[in-house]
Amino acid sequence: MALINIATHEIHCKIVYYGIGYCGKTTNLQYVFKSINPKARGEMLSIATETERTLFFDFLPLDLGTVHGFRTRFHLYTVPGQVLYERTRLAVLSGADGIVFVVDSQAEKFEENVQSIAELEVNMRRIGKDLGNFPFIMQWNKRDMPSALPVNVLERYLNRRRVPSFEAIACDGKGVFATLRAISKNVMAHL
Amino acid sequence: MEQLTNLVISDRELAFISAALNKLMNDTNATSVMLIDKSGQVIATQGTGVRRNATSLGALLAGAFSSSRHIAELLGEKDFRTIFQQGVKENIFTTMVEEQWLLVIVFDKLTHIGLVKVLSKKAADEMGRILERVRADTTRTKSSVINVQFRSSVEDTIDLLFRD
Repeated sequence: MALINIATHEIHCKIVYYGIGYCGKTTNLQYVFKSINPKARGEMLSIATETERTLFFDFLPLDLGTVHGFRTRFHLYTVPGQVLYERTRLAVLSGADGIVFVVDSQAEKFEENVQSIAELEVNMRRIGKDLGNFPFIMQWNKRDMPSALPVNVLERYLNRRRVPSFEAIACDGKGVFATLRAISKNVMAHL
Repeated sequence: MEQLTNLVISDRELAFISAALNKLMNDTNATSVMLIDKSGQVIATQGTGVRRNATSLGALLAGAFSSSRHIAELLGEKDFRTIFQQGVKENIFTTMVEEQWLLVIVFDKLTHIGLVKVLSKKAADEMGRILERVRADTTRTKSSVINVQFRSSVEDTIDLLFRD
């Protein structure tokens, strides 16, 4: 739920990165954090286990500065990817204005990706949102891996809604900002 | 119910919110009070204790609250509408306003939790009435802010800032 505060001249939007464990959601946020103008970002919060798997969420506030008199902010979140944290993913989705589904392109992860998208569809219905009419994009991550499936296969089976999609190698930053630009514009268009 | 896609808070309603928060802070002798959206976004704060970390606190408190509601569900409980976090020096009491906002009171050992519970309930009722008005106003007020020029400027800013 975007919040428009006329009194303080602020607009806040929430973007959630969703996907299976180790697909690169946290890596996307870490790349944004280290590459963006430091003035445009706040502190990145990570609630992780000792082995650095995301336990609850990562959080990165971004500040676009003042646009037409309104300070515009995007809050980026990731969900924990591991299967057992389904309830936590649902908790983080609450109030989201846009979703990036990060896909691990490797063939051996295909089934997990399919299940995760199905879970996202169910979770969106549970919070009363229709994914068909919601800012939603796909990121085909890990394009550099030897077992990465061809993009047309991913498109056919994982992008049934035919939403915009972007190839990425998040650890090198490739595709990270293209994804962020697309979802941010999509969220603003839905305001 | 379909969630609203956005919520617009006017000057007038923010003034009511700030006054109610201020009253709650003074009456309970709390160190700080905050109103946050359940998505984690901070709507208003009073008191100096939380201002510097307000953005992070908003995200974490909303996350903790949302998580606790799912715990309730798993226990077969209808809902947990409040959370009490107790520290050595500081305590935090969080309570829901309708299904949309969270009212957060930060207080130390000089304040009794009983007082916080009773007065936060009253304040939450008042916030609920404000929320109702905010919802009614949202569609009308939004078009004055989100116009064509704004959309075009924000797209340019996104291109400028989010680049490799």
